[in-house]
Order: sequence, then C-alpha cells, then structure tokens
Amino acid sequence: MIRFLLRKALGLVGVLLAISLVVYAVFYLAPGDPAQLACGEKCSPAQVLQVRERLGLDAPVHLQYAHFLQGIVAGRDFSAGTGLLHCPAPCLGVSYRSGEQVTDMIAARLPVTASLALGAMVIWLVLGVGTGLLSALRRGRLGERLLTALTLAGTAVPVFVIGLVLLIVLCAQLRWLPFPSYTPLTEDPQQWFWGLLLPWFSLALIESAKYARLTRSAVLETLAEDHIRTFRAYGVGERRLVTRHALRGALTPVIALTALDLGTMFGSAVLTESLFGLPGLGKLLVTSVGLIDLPTVVGLTLVTGFCVVLANVVADVLYAVTDRRVVLT
Amino acid sequence: MSRPTSTPRRLAAASATVALVVGAAACGPKADGGGGTGKDAAPQRGGTLTVLNQNPQDQFDPARLYTSGGGNVPSLVFRTLTTRNRADGAAGTKVVPDLATDTGTPSEGATVWTYHLRDGLTFEDGSPITTADIKYGIERSFAPELSGGAPYLRDWLVGAADYQGPYKDGRTLDSIETPDAKTIVFHLAKPEGDFPYLATQTQFAPVPKAKDTGTKYQDHPVSSGPYQVEKNENDGAHLVLKRNPNWSAATDDQRKAYPDTIDVQSGLDPAVINQRLSAGTGADAAAVTTDTNLGPSELAQVKDDKALAARVGTGHFGYVNYLAFNPKVKPFDNPKVRQAIAYALNRTSVVNAAGGSSLAEAATTYLPAQETFGYTPYDPFPAGATGSPEKAKEALKEAGYPDGLTVTLTHSTDTGKGYGPNLATAVQDGLKAAGITVRLEALDSTRYSKTIHTVGTEPGFFLSGWGADWPSGGPFLAPIFDGRQIVTDGYNFNSAQLDDASVNDEIDRINKITDHAEAAKRWGALDQRIGEQALTVPLFHPVYKRLYGKDVRNIVISDWTGVLDISQVAVK
Amino acid sequence: MAPRETRAGEARAAAPAAGGRQVWRRLLARRTVRAAGLVVVLLVLTAAAAPLLTAVEGQDPTSYHNDLLDSAAGGVPTGSFGGVSAEHWLGVEPGTGRDVFARLVHGARISLLVAVGATLVQVAIGVLLGLAAGLGSRLLDQLIGNTTEVMLALPSLVFAISLMAVVPTDFSRPLLLTLVIGLLGWAGTSRLVRAQTLSLKQLDHVAAARLAGATRWRIARRELLPALAAPVLTYAAVLLPTNVVSEAGLSFLGVGVKPPTSSWGQMLSGATTWFRADPMYVLLPSALLFATVLAFTVLGDAVRTELDPRAASRLRVGTTGGPGGPGTTGEAAA
Repeated sequence: MIRFLLRKALGLVGVLLAISLVVYAVFYLAPGDPAQLACGEKCSPAQVLQVRERLGLDAPVHLQYAHFLQGIVAGRDFSAGTGLLHCPAPCLGVSYRSGEQVTDMIAARLPVTASLALGAMVIWLVLGVGTGLLSALRRGRLGERLLTALTLAGTAVPVFVIGLVLLIVLCAQLRWLPFPSYTPLTEDPQQWFWGLLLPWFSLALIESAKYARLTRSAVLETLAEDHIRTFRAYGVGERRLVTRHALRGALTPVIALTALDLGTMFGSAVLTESLFGLPGLGKLLVTSVGLIDLPTVVGLTLVTGFCVVLANVVADVLYAVTDRRVVLT
Repeated sequence: MSRPTSTPRRLAAASATVALVVGAAACGPKADGGGGTGKDAAPQRGGTLTVLNQNPQDQFDPARLYTSGGGNVPSLVFRTLTTRNRADGAAGTKVVPDLATDTGTPSEGATVWTYHLRDGLTFEDGSPITTADIKYGIERSFAPELSGGAPYLRDWLVGAADYQGPYKDGRTLDSIETPDAKTIVFHLAKPEGDFPYLATQTQFAPVPKAKDTGTKYQDHPVSSGPYQVEKNENDGAHLVLKRNPNWSAATDDQRKAYPDTIDVQSGLDPAVINQRLSAGTGADAAAVTTDTNLGPSELAQVKDDKALAARVGTGHFGYVNYLAFNPKVKPFDNPKVRQAIAYALNRTSVVNAAGGSSLAEAATTYLPAQETFGYTPYDPFPAGATGSPEKAKEALKEAGYPDGLTVTLTHSTDTGKGYGPNLATAVQDGLKAAGITVRLEALDSTRYSKTIHTVGTEPGFFLSGWGADWPSGGPFLAPIFDGRQIVTDGYNFNSAQLDDASVNDEIDRINKITDHAEAAKRWGALDQRIGEQALTVPLFHPVYKRLYGKDVRNIVISDWTGVLDISQVAVK
Repeated sequence: MAPRETRAGEARAAAPAAGGRQVWRRLLARRTVRAAGLVVVLLVLTAAAAPLLTAVEGQDPTSYHNDLLDSAAGGVPTGSFGGVSAEHWLGVEPGTGRDVFARLVHGARISLLVAVGATLVQVAIGVLLGLAAGLGSRLLDQLIGNTTEVMLALPSLVFAISLMAVVPTDFSRPLLLTLVIGLLGWAGTSRLVRAQTLSLKQLDHVAAARLAGATRWRIARRELLPALAAPVLTYAAVLLPTNVVSEAGLSFLGVGVKPPTSSWGQMLSGATTWFRADPMYVLLPSALLFATVLAFTVLGDAVRTELDPRAASRLRVGTTGGPGGPGTTGEAAA
C-alpha cells in the first residue's frame, strides 16, 4: 500500500510536469501577444516593449519555463513598481493581467468551486442513486420513467439551456428560489445554500443519469448473485434484500465514480459558473485563456490536474479497500 | 441576495428601516421632509444600490483605467481635475470643473493649460489634496507596471514619449509644473483645444505618493470622491463601496451620492442580469446595470408591459460600428468596388443582427448623431434601408466586374462586441443580391484585434467599431483618418492608411480651436469629406436601453456615457 | 463544455460475441429498440436528404427574411409559434428570419457527422492504445497509462480553444471539431480496452494461442478484437450523444462551426436569450438533441445486453445499464 502511494506520488509529479509543459508549448504556438493585451490596445510599441520586459516575456521560452519551475520550488520576486513583491514557494507566478499572485487568485476562488462541486455531488448522488434503485426495482412504473427521462434530459441538453430555463421558471416567474449568487458559507450559511441551490441542481442533472445507470446495473447484478438467490429462497423480504445487500454492491463503483467526477469538476464546471455568475476556477480559466494570461492558465491547469489525479488514486484505494480481489501494487 | 422562501417578494426598502441621514455636513440633496417612498417623492439618502454587470471592474487603479469621462463606478472614488456634467441628454456632454475651479485656462495657442484647485479638498484619510498628488498620479500612469490608460497624455505632453514613470529612476515629468499646492500647469507639444476633456480621465485623479503601493494600489486606492473601497474581491468581480467620511458635498457639485453603500456584482450572464432586474425581488429592486442592454425577451415584453417600460433607461453613447476597407488590398483599392458594397449593404438586416431597431440606429455617417460630435447628416451612397442591388451592380460594372465578384470579410468569433458572426452573416446576405459573394473568415477575438490593427496583416475588408474617448469629433476622427497616426510597428487604427495632407492640415487647424461648438462644425464637415471616399461604410450607431429596479430614482442619462449615472441615483 | 469523460467500465470478462444474425433478431424483437432504431434511421435520413427536404419546403438555410421580424421588439418573428407558416414549416430564426426547418435539417448533418466522426476517432485511438497497453511490455503500459492520466487531467476546454486558435482559418471546421473532440476524448475507451484485454489474456483460448506462438498482433486481431466488440460498441453508444452535446458546448464558447453554417449546437448557443420571447426556437433543437441522446442510449443498452451473454443469462431483465463503472486505474487488476 505504501509502495503504491509512493509510486502514485511520483506519477503525480510527472503528470503535473507534463501538463505544465504542454500548456507552455500550446501557448507558445498560439498567436496573440500577451504583452500587448496586458498593456492595452492603444499602447505604443515602445510601451509594449517595456511591458514585455517587465513580464519576463523577452526571455526565451525555455528560460521562462525554468523561472516558472524555480518559483514553485524556491519562490520568486516581482516588481510592484514601488517595491518588490515577494511570491513565496510554491509560487505559480503573477498574473500578466492583474499582477496578482496566481496562488492567491486560486485560493480566493477555490471555495466557490468546492461549494458548487460538493453540493452538486450530494444532489446527483441522491437523484442518480435514487433513480437507479427505482428503475432496478420498479421498472416501468410512471415515477421511474419520469425520473429516468429527467436524468437523461440532463445529459442531453447543455447546461446553458437547462440552467437558464430553470432560472427563468423557478426564480423569475414562480419566484420559488432566489437568483443564484455566491455567499461564503462562513458568512451566511443560509444564503450560501439558497444561492447555490439552482447551480447545484443544474450541474447535478448532467451527471445523475450516469449514476442512475451505474446503480441500476450494479443492483441488478448483485441481486442475481447466488447468495442473494439463496436469501430470497429463504424468504428474506425484497426491501431488506435491496437495502442490506444490493445497495452495498453498488456502493463501491458509485463512490469511486464520485471521486473521479468530483476531481474533474474542479475546472470544468465552466458553463455553469459562467451562466450563474459564480466566480469559480472554471470561469477564471476561460477568462485567462482568452487573455493569454499564461501564469494563471498554467496555475489553474496544475490545480485541476492535481485534483483529477488525486481523485484517481482515491478511486483506486477505495476499490482496494472495499473489494479484496483488487490488489494495489 | 434575496433571502429565500417565506417572503421572497419582500422589498428591500421595507426591510431597511434605518434610513438615517449620516454625515452632518451640508450634503447634497435637500430632503424636503416628505419621506414618502412613492416614485415622485424627492430622493433621499441611504440604502444600498446594487449594480449588476457582465464585465468585472478588474482594473481599479486610476492609472490603469481606460474610461470615457472618468467612468461610472470609478468616478465615485476618483475625483479628477474636470469631469463630465451630470445632466440628462446633450447637456451631459459638457465638461465641467471637478477638483479644479474651472475647466482650465489655455494660453500660448492652447499649448499651455493652467488649473487651480478648489479649497477644502481632502483624501479619505483627511489629508489635503494638492496639485503634487495630481502630478504624481499622472506620472505613475507612465510606468510599465501600470499600463492600460488612454494614449493621449503620452502623445500630448512635452517629453512624455519615452517617459517610464517615477518608479524606475525617480524621474519626474518636467512638462507638468506645480508652482504651489493649488496650481498645476501642463505644457503640450502641440495645440489641443480638447485638453479639458482629457482631464476628466482617471489619470488626473490625485494619488498620495506616500500611500502608493504600485500594482497593489488598486486593492485600496485612496479615495478623493464620495465613496471608498470597502471590499474588492476576485479582481473586481465583487466591489463594495461605502461612504467616504472626509468627502464634502460642499466641494463637489456633481456627485449626489444618495445611497450609503454601492454593491457592484459582476461576471454575470446578460440574460440573468435582465431577469433579475425585471423580477426585482429583494435587493434587486434597488439594482441597476451599466453595461447590459435589454435582451430580446425584455424588448418583446416592454411592448405590452407599461410598468416594465417605465423602468427602461434609454441613452446614446458616441459609437459607430462600420465596415472597414484596406485600400492596399485588391479589389478594395478600387473606389468603385467600395461604393458598390456601400450601395448593396442591407442595413435592416444589420440592425436586426445588432438587436433590432430599439438597440441600433442605421448609420450613414461616421460621426454619431449628436451635435457635440459635429454631426452633419449625409449619405454619399443613398440606397435606402435595404440597399440597392441595381446601383451596386452599376458601380461594379464601372469597376470592371460586370459578372459580380467574390470578396472575403474578416470578423471576430466573439458575438458580444459588434464584430461578430451575426453581423458578418447579415452583411453577407445583403451583398448576395448585388452579385457580391462574401466569404467569411472568423478569428478569435484576441487574434482578430491583433490582425486588423497590424499594418502587415490587416485584411482588405473587416468589421470594426470606434467609440468616443470624450464627446468631441477629434478623438473620433483623428485616430482613424490622421495620416501621422499610422503606426507601422504596433497597433494601428488608421485602417484605411489614409495619409491625405489636406485632411491632416484640417485636423491641426481644428485642434487649435478652443470653442467646442465652433470646432464641432468643422469636424462634421471633415467627416462628410472623408465619408465620400468610401474608406469605411458606417453600419449603425448603437442605442443603450437598460433596465433598473423599481426602487431606483433620480435617473440621469447623459449623451456622454449613455447610461444612468450612478453618482445621481437614489434608492430611497 | 468540452468533451467530458465518462469513465469506462470495470474489467468485465466478455465472452466472444453471439452470432450476428441471432443478435439482430433478438434486438428487433423489442419494441423500445425498434422505436429507438426508427429515430436514429429517421435522423440519418433527414440529415442525408437535407437539401432535398429544404427544396420541397422551398427555402434555404441562409437567406434572411427581415419582413417576418418585429425589429423594434429585438427581431422576434411576427406570427405565432416563432413565425410558423405554410412557407416556413417550423418558423423563422429570430434576428435574421432564416428558415428554422432548413437550418435544423442542415444542422443535423453537421451535428451527426461531427459526433459520429469524433466517436470513431475516440474508439480507434482508445482501442489501439488500450490493446497496446494490455499486451505490451510493462514499460509501454506505464507510458500509455501516464499519457492517459495527463489527457484526463488536462482541462480539455483550454485545449479545444487553443487548438481552434492555432489551426489556420481555412481548415474545414466540421473536420476540426471532429478531430478536437475525438483527440481529447479517447482516454475512457483506452482504459476500458486495457482492462478488458488484461482479463481476456487470462482466458484459455487466448493463453493457448499465445503458447502456440501467435504474434501479439495476431492475438489482438483474432482473439481479442471480437471479444472487445461488445463493450466497445456499448461504450461508443454512450460517447456518441456526449459528443453531440460537446459540439454544442464548443459552439457556445464561440469555437463551433463557421457561420452561416448551422448545427444544433450553434442554434442552441444563440437560442437561450430568446427563451421567453420565442420558446419554439429553443425547444426545437433541444428536443432533437434529446431524442438523439435517448435513442442512442436505448440502443446502446440493448446491444450490450444482447452481446454480453453473462448479463443476459444471469439477469434476464431488460437493459442492465451501460459501462458506467469507473476504471480501476493503473495498477489494479481484477
């Protein structure tokens, strides 16, 4: 187990290095001048040159990358005009655009994305696992069909359509929900909850169909296993069979998939964050890509990549813990 | 914002019973006792105004802000030497004194401008504002760390072209003199009658040198206006302003500052902004937007809904969207080809693509349809609203293309800015009838802007637009048509690369005029003269239509900004 | 949102496929399958016959009709249901007056082509790399495993946008969309195939072939590919609708098809602001997208049940859900 984790940690470093290299390479190839963008459209060539120098963009690209790595390990100093701005290790650099430290920018937005992802997770688990169970046990009933159709509609229709339609109906016309907004949990838990309810629901709808299908197939498979047949032969009630045994069988794959989805959610809930105006990581990523703000893009990519790889490890470990047939090497 | 469940329709006004008048100073509005909350009652101090915007206030350093007239939100925090007149319509295009006692005294043929400060001006910490602070504020805007402002100061001030700000070697700008704490003198390289307009921009806001923290200054800039920054989260995605106790209405006749708190929430989807404003639940009843037009849903709705229609503020900002030609690229070197396109254009399609006749007015002049710019109506290639394929074919025949021709129109993939695919396809469809086949070439917005503004890569035919840095013909025509402003090694805005001595001379002559009305007339005549060359085909002038909450009153919309002025709005 | 990865199934040993004709017969015996099949066939026919259908209607997808719009109200179509009339069967597009029916059927071509093409790319790369990882040396396996991990960890959106910006503008957009969605979304398939390969390797007939001295390539072709067909096909049925939605997401972010070409994604991306003023314009492409996803999901489930004898024989209940299980990554072996 320890060997496995060590190897994974090493792999993680490798993956993150590869990601940062790829991002640097792509942005080096992409057209557009970050210095001109940072300076403003109407900057004179001389001014752009000064800005380029200040951002360190006049150095060859491999040196820029080396400086970036150096910042992660040892920290870096940047000019703030009136003095030096120290960016302590692990320093992901400062934004070309705002001059803020990338680590600060990420730290400020992480709670938003985390709130969004975790809340959505709860809903997609309830909705997905519930629908899956229903469809395994009450196949063909009206309620089951409606729920299945709802979850499928969630996968089929892009979030920018479903989210907006829900917003217009629930917030503007029926006024059942307040318009989405982000309030930190620590500031006002009630407002945090109500403000995020709609984004959670929209995001959860995309995912829940997958969970419904997974739960259903796992439940059905467990129910078909020999020991369950034996239980049934002995007259154990169907409800008891499901809650005690079949659900347990579905638990492992559901939890593992949840870990993976949660990992990807950090940085890919872009459309949801944009639509509902939530200042999260995904939204920052899209803005920064548009502005060729390389330090921010690399920093965000590393954080989201880290989450995904971590989620993979968690999924592996979960498998090993719950299923003795799986051996971690 | 609005709290959930039981009382979602509750008005913000009802809950905020603490409508106390804070600040004993003889502040702005005369509360004439009434205290009623009806629409006609006099505006009262107090409450929170919410601003719902798409674009975050991601720059809040006065050096880096690029504004027209000092901006809307920034102008609540930064006072400048002069400012825009806070009045409805055309009266709002005037420039008026702010920190200064007048709009400036020109001498030596408008190359030297002198200003004196009012008495009793203080920063938010109570320390006095001096002309040295204004000089320092301008100087730091030259630092590469704080780039982003308008280019005029660099072009106009003597010895400013290669100045790099005070940070690097402590150098100061000798062309700005401060003989005493109340006087400041600017020395310009050439006559500039529009200098008072430039002095409205945030670079003319005072910055105390001792409090300057370079790139960090924008987190909490030292206020000279009625509000100061309380909170600035996520690069201006959420900005909260509260009253500046050391601002005195006695020294400021422009800003009313009724609300106690201004809560600016940005990064919102335009459809969401409009839904929130039209629903107006909770705090949204006291909300406005400064950057989002009515969407199609609301435009259709206001036709029948009188109550909603009463909450729409209509305004005009000086802007023109146009088709640009690069006459260095064939076949656009041929004026007849450019004329054919001008004749063939279907402006009805274009206006619909821009949001319909409520949000766009078809344009045949480059200058916006306002007197202050020198608007002179003309249409060098009259073809009606939907274009004239016959006249276009005629012109094509004369140009040597009797069987029609194929051209490429370059546009941006960004649908938001008026250079996007919607407009491009509208132009494409219109030209079809005249036998002009348009191929579309789409570039993402950063690549687009670089491509069209670089002399070597500039395409022959593309979508463009130009807005006013201040309401005058100069900043509208000179950057686009002055031959000496062609930039070959950086961003160039003279797309037609017109370098006509008679045009250049006329620009110089008008710049010497310090009487705005007189200058405006001359700009209008110049616009017509250039327009006849078909170097651009004007498409439309946008109209601003913005919703505001039902508790919002004292709406003032000037023709300078086109949107309601936050400094005038009351929510009680 | 760019292609989001649905993770592929846990290693389930799939026995060789049942006889093709038998499977067909069993599939067609089900009502839901027949209905879903009909939907897919109709969609494909509509897409193929798009020019013909619009010619019958007498419209084309790019001509503007300003006279059918209320300009002052933002360009919303005059008349009920988004301007439905004898000339315009499904009304006209708000803001332009282009014929909605013509744009929908032409859009179906692009959307289906991109989705099918991207799925093929994903499956091809996934199968190839998955097989290589499962059969190759430990080093190769490690290398492919790490590459897969990088692919999963990269926010595909950044890449989709950047790639679109790097490629010359005259490169065919539908092809580019196909490649971008395809190249960014193969990781799931590759994991599925690798896991399947690892467990299939243990089966007697594969082991026998190996002992008999068959090359890896031959084993892959003769012994593994037939057995992989079932899970891969099922997985592809899940990928396909995801790819339709991906195209919509990319269009929403401004990197979709070039105007004036239409696609469902392009139509949806501009439609949302019209929801209140012209609900038809939002509902039509949404409904088509939903029908497509539903049909492919039903088909995928059915194919899986028929091709996976274990599931069929043991459960004897309708569909058993797709390959939803998460991959046991890297080192785990079932």
